[in-house]
Order: sequence, then C-alpha cells, then structure tokens
Amino acid sequence: MTTIETSTPLAVESSSPPVRPSASPGRVAFRQFLRSPSGVCGACLLILIVLGTAIGPVVYPVDPLDLVGGPFTAPSADAWLGTDYLGRDVLAGLIYGGRASLAVGAVAALITIAIGLTVGALSGFFGGAIDAALVKITEFFQILPPLLFAMVLVTLFGQKLTTITLAIGAVSWTSAARLTRAEFMRLRNLDFVKASRAAGAGDAYLILRVLLPNALPPVIVSATLAIGVAILFEGGLSFLGLGDPNTMSWGLMLGQNRNYVLDAWWAVIFPGAAIFLAVLSISLVGDGVNDAINPRLRRRM
Amino acid sequence: MSIRRYLLLGAIGLFAICTTPHRSIAQTAGSNAVVIATTQVPRHFNGAVQSGLATAMPSSQIFASPLRYDDKWNPQPYLAQSWDVAPNGLSVTLHLVKNAVFHDGQPVTSEDVAFSIMAIKANHPFQTMLAAVENVDTPDPSTAVIRLSHPSPSLLLAMSPALMPILPKHVYGDGQDLKAHPANLKPIGSGPFKLTEYKQGEYYTLEKFDKFFMAGRPKLDKIVVRIVSDPNAALVSMERGDANILPFVAGVRDIDRLQKAANVFVTDKGFAGVGPLNWLAFNTRKKPLDDVRVRQAIAYAANREFIVGKLMSGKAAPATGPIAPGSPLEEKAVETYKADYAKAAELLDATGHPKSADGSRFSLTIDYIPGADEQQRNIAEYLRSQLKRVGINLEVRAAPDFPTWAQRVSNYDFDLTMDTVFNWGDPVIGVNRTYLSSNIRKGIIWSNTQQYSNPKVDELLQAAAVETSPEKRKELYSEFQKIVVKDVPIYFINATPYYNAFSKGLGGLPTSIWGMMSPLDEVHWEIPPKT
Repeated sequence: MTTIETSTPLAVESSSPPVRPSASPGRVAFRQFLRSPSGVCGACLLILIVLGTAIGPVVYPVDPLDLVGGPFTAPSADAWLGTDYLGRDVLAGLIYGGRASLAVGAVAALITIAIGLTVGALSGFFGGAIDAALVKITEFFQILPPLLFAMVLVTLFGQKLTTITLAIGAVSWTSAARLTRAEFMRLRNLDFVKASRAAGAGDAYLILRVLLPNALPPVIVSATLAIGVAILFEGGLSFLGLGDPNTMSWGLMLGQNRNYVLDAWWAVIFPGAAIFLAVLSISLVGDGVNDAINPRLRRRM
Repeated sequence: MSIRRYLLLGAIGLFAICTTPHRSIAQTAGSNAVVIATTQVPRHFNGAVQSGLATAMPSSQIFASPLRYDDKWNPQPYLAQSWDVAPNGLSVTLHLVKNAVFHDGQPVTSEDVAFSIMAIKANHPFQTMLAAVENVDTPDPSTAVIRLSHPSPSLLLAMSPALMPILPKHVYGDGQDLKAHPANLKPIGSGPFKLTEYKQGEYYTLEKFDKFFMAGRPKLDKIVVRIVSDPNAALVSMERGDANILPFVAGVRDIDRLQKAANVFVTDKGFAGVGPLNWLAFNTRKKPLDDVRVRQAIAYAANREFIVGKLMSGKAAPATGPIAPGSPLEEKAVETYKADYAKAAELLDATGHPKSADGSRFSLTIDYIPGADEQQRNIAEYLRSQLKRVGINLEVRAAPDFPTWAQRVSNYDFDLTMDTVFNWGDPVIGVNRTYLSSNIRKGIIWSNTQQYSNPKVDELLQAAAVETSPEKRKELYSEFQKIVVKDVPIYFINATPYYNAFSKGLGGLPTSIWGMMSPLDEVHWEIPPKT
C-alpha cells in the first residue's frame, strides 16, 4: 500500500477534514473502511467463509468425491447436510468446493485485472494509433456475449478448472481495461505528471511509478467485485454442464444436483446459499473498499 | 457488467430451477384421436434408410412390412399372409395379401417387396441385417421369393415394421438417392396411418388410412405427434392429460413421477426387441487394460448391484452379458462379477501393479456419452470412487457434445468409456458388430471400438448366423456369451430402463417386442378422455 504515497497531490487536495500527517494513506483507508457497516459485515462473512474452506478439511476429513452413504440421504447425524444423487457428502462438497470456487474467483479476477491494467494503461498513456487499436480490440471482446464466449472456450479447450479460470479471465477484462484507460487519460495531463516528465522520467517509469499508483483505487474496487463475478461465472458454466467433473465446486454441485431438486433439496440449496453468501460478502467488501479509497467520495463525507 | 446484474441473473437461475416449466400441449386432435408427446425429432419418415427410434415410430405407422411380432417373439402375418422357409434355408417365400394398397391407391405387389428389400440392403445402416440376401424373385404379383447366399435365421426378425418398411416402387424407384429422396418427408406407404402434415421440429399428424388392408383397423382416426424439446415439459403435458402417450421415457425420476400420476399407466413392456444395453467398455489394446485380469479386477470392483439397485432405484434390469435381458437367446449362467474388492486387489497384484505408498496403482480415464446423465455420467462418477477402493485413479473426461465423444471412442483415444448400444432383436443385427474382429473399423462408432479380438468368438458368431436349428443356434450364442463375459471387453451393467406411458382409458396398447415401433392399429379409447 506504500505505493499510494505517491498520490500526495491528490491526498493534499482532499485533506479536509485534516488528517494527521503521520497517518499513511493505507491506514487512512483502513480506518475509513471500518466506518462502513456493510463493508465490515461483508469482511467478517468473507473471513468466515475463507476460514471454513481453509481449516474445514482438518476438522471434517471426508473426500467430497467419495460415496459415504446411499444416494439422497437427508441431513442427519451421519451426514450433516445430507448426500447427493450418488451418495457423496454435501458438507464435504461445500468445504472442498468452496476452495475451488474461491480459487477460481481469485485467480480469474487476477487475470482480469492483469489484462485490463496492461491494455488500459498502454491505451490511455500513449493514445493515438496504439489507443485506437487497443480500443478496437477491447470493443471486439466487449461485444461478445461473455457467457457464450466462455462456453465456447471451455468447449474447445476442455472442461478443466484451469481452462475454466482462464476462460473467465479472458472474457471479463474489458471493463477493467476501459476503467484504467479513462483514469490514465485523466491523469496524464495533470501537473504532477508533467513535472515528472520534465524531470526526465521515461515512459516505463511514468506508467509504473507515477500514473499506475494513482489510477489504482477504482481498479482495486473493480477487482474485488470481479472475484464475485468470476465465482458466479464458474457457477453458471457448471450449471450448464461445463464444469470440471473431477473437481468439486459449488457451481458443479448446483449444476449436477438440480435435476434432483425435488428429491434432495439439500444438495441444491446449500451450494446455492454458499455461492449467494460468498458473492454477497465480496460485493459488500467491494462497496466498503470503494468508500474507503475513493478520494472524491471521502471529501463528501 | 455490474455485479447487481449478475446477482439478478443468479436469482433468476435459482428461481428457474425451483419451478417446473409448464408448457401446455393443446388438445386439438378431436375425440377419437391420441396425442403423442416425444422429444425425438425424426430427420424424415423413411425407416428403410434410417435407423433409430425417432424415425422408426412414425415409419411403422406409415409403412407396412412383411411380418409383425407379438410380445413373445412369434412372427405374425402382416403384408405376408403366410411364408415358407426352404428346408435348406436358402430361400424364403412370402405370400402377400391381395387387398393391400398404398396411400395413393396403387396395389402393393411383389415388385414393391423386391424393390424395398434391395433398397434396404443397399442403404440401411445395419449392413449385416440383409447381408445374406442375393436377390428377390417375383413369380407373380402376390409372391416374392427371397434368395439367400447362406441360411439367415435372423431374416424373419428383419421383416419387422421397424426394419423393413415396404416402399412403393412407383414413388421411390425413380432413380434418386433414397437417403435424400423428397418422398422421405412426404412418405407414401401401405400402413394403417398416412402422414398428412409435418411442421419441422414441431409436430406431425397421422390420419387413418381408410383402405388399410386389415379389416376394422386402425381404430383411431388420428394421431398427433407433438415434438417437445424439453423432457420436463413432455412429462408435465402427460400428467395434465394434454398428451396421451409418452414413449421412450428413460429417466428414473421421470418414471417414478409418472407412476404416481393418477391418470397415467406406465409399462416397461415393448422394448425387448430394441434390447438397449448400458455398459462400461474397455480399450483392450491399451496398457494396462490389454491384460484380461485388469479388466476382470475392474469388473469385480464395479458393483452392478449398487448401480442398478441404488443409482437407478431398481427401475432398470441388470444385464450380465452381451445379449439383452428379455431376448430368448440371453444366457443367464455367466460369471456375474459380484462385488469382491479382495479378489480385485488380488488380480491387480498378480498383474504386477502393486499398491504404492499412497494406496494407488495406476491411473485411467473414463469417458461417457454427454447428455445422458443418469445412465452415463453418474455411473462414470460413481466408478471413480469405486475404483479408488482398489487403487485405480479414475479421471472423468467430459465431452462437450456427442461428436466429440464418438470421435474419441471410434479413434481408440480412450481407456474406459460408458456406452449404450441396442441389440435390435437378433444378434446378427445388433450384437455381432461389437465383438467380431472383422468389425474393428477405426473411425466408426458402435463398431468393435473395444478392438476385442478372439478367434473362437468370431467362429461362434459366424456359425450362429447361418445355423437354422433354433436349439443349436441358442447353444452357439450361449457359448459366445460365456466367453465374452469371461474376456471382459465390456462390463455389462444394465438394460436401459425405457418405459412407455399411456393415458388410462386407452386400450390395445403396443406391448409387442417392438412396442411403439410397431403399428398402433389396435390402440383405441376404452374410456374416452373427459374434455
């Protein structure tokens, strides 16, 4: 978070009410985040979910792909959340499936942001022909229906969790790119950038050390939200039968059990609720982060 | 795209799975009519050049055939009022009824029979079915003599409505390619119903043919076949009474639901002829599966009883060999591979695949036909956890669509695969293709894709194909079944649980061995439906 220190021009601009000079922008943002009740709720929920999937296997060591009983066993003392259409444990599925779903969400969001930042930064910084070309490419990806495009990619390259993650990243980077581009275009003509350039900074230095840190805040918010979107995306693909059959995930549980919803509601409701809670918490955290690090908003408060 | 929109989409998705789609199939057919709902879309209506349930059902209504069958595998007169098989088995003489006419008024003659048999031999996908036929003589308009190169006991079954529709030569004999003939979509036959309307992919209408040669039949005036792409919608329309017949129901849950519906009668009769088998196939030329003991070990670990009893709720009949349950040729006294994990481990140890420190021996993949979850994917997933018990890591390979799966399997790019194959009545028609070493044909699905080769099996199948004594034939097939089960190119799991559903009040139901792929000329309302 120390990189944000270079954003002093903005921080000074927005420093009423006065902040103690010793407070780093990171700490300011954190304090601001704690003031947002929805953000705190979301963070608590998210921590619970992550902890559950992290230490769950230690507390509840059941292989989610093993048969532990007859098919469609209702929730009971033996299988707390019941079993699915093969007799696999739903709770074990939730724990291990959560790992897969959260991992897909996080990695896909990283890919989204990595591509989005690169394309957006080059486009916004250089402008002209490079910008025109990159915008065309972005627009090309933007007009493709994302779910359909992801389905095609997964169909072509196989139903593996890695393929699914890459496909999600490949179809959802456009908004991050546009956001970054807009920020870069806004920032590149500001005085502090001109000053750096006059002091002899090269293009790479300007992009990475001067512009990027200042363009980050909205991108961080967008990245947080992208995790939630990616989890939903994985759920959607699995729901349509394009999940990875060798790795349990919440979406796969939902997709495979939906045919039996009248026989075994528990195998559908619990993964559905898990997806809902995870995406809700991430969305709340995203809102909280937005409140905390958006300088314009902070000035209003 | 905003997160809220995704949340909304998610909510809609959840809502959609919690509610069942209701699409009504309007009953517009009239009082003495039935509505059939089906998910099967026929490419056309000419069963002479196209196999499969979707075409066979309408084709059997539109076209008559030389013979038809009862529910005990006995041939019955149809277009042929009698028939003689020569003592040496090298010819079959058909004596045709004299009053049969096509829907356009032209009489049915031996010329039409001769034309149709040769057309089917040339065009039908089941190449072994009429392989023995050399030519058909027509000494007079009501006599056809089929000349054979060798005895062919399966020929009588091949004269069934689903397999040998008699085409009018004056319509189809114009030299055009039969597989793409325009009359395949506007068919003219001599069966009990004529096609009056077809809206591609939506519905087709069959109306009573007044000059049908069997007196007093058909009993219905009209059959409307609604093509419903969503199986759930078809189910609901059956429950609501919007549809009167729902053929080829295969889902265990669906069968359960229909059995509970007060106005519906459900039966598994009518599929003995099709003989649909669901099985696990091995690539017998790939290591380590080229060792028969490895295949046997997998068979001992698979546990058919659990699959049939639990995963299919007992709705499917267990299958233990290559000839489907219900066939008079089925041999029950074969090795059943009752679940025995110790024995499986022993066999694997003996083949030089000891358990490693983490308990695993080797890894394999399993494929399955996409779209058929209950019969295919679920069992593949189940086998993964079963084989883990004996130290085999099984990776489930999903295929996005049928061609991808068929491509992999027919090019031997697989270890294990789930598969569903039909017997089609006689072993010569639907069984031989899977086991004859001469039918190892790369690139062709449902050939001998296991690459199984056993000279003794080849010999037995060839002998049985020309054996005219039913007892001796049964013996040959019995030995064949015992050998195949012991060699395990395939682990047989179950007969696919096909059911037909009928509205209560319907009589004369098609429960013969060919079921809904036989003429529905006796179906009638005993108690007409309330409208």
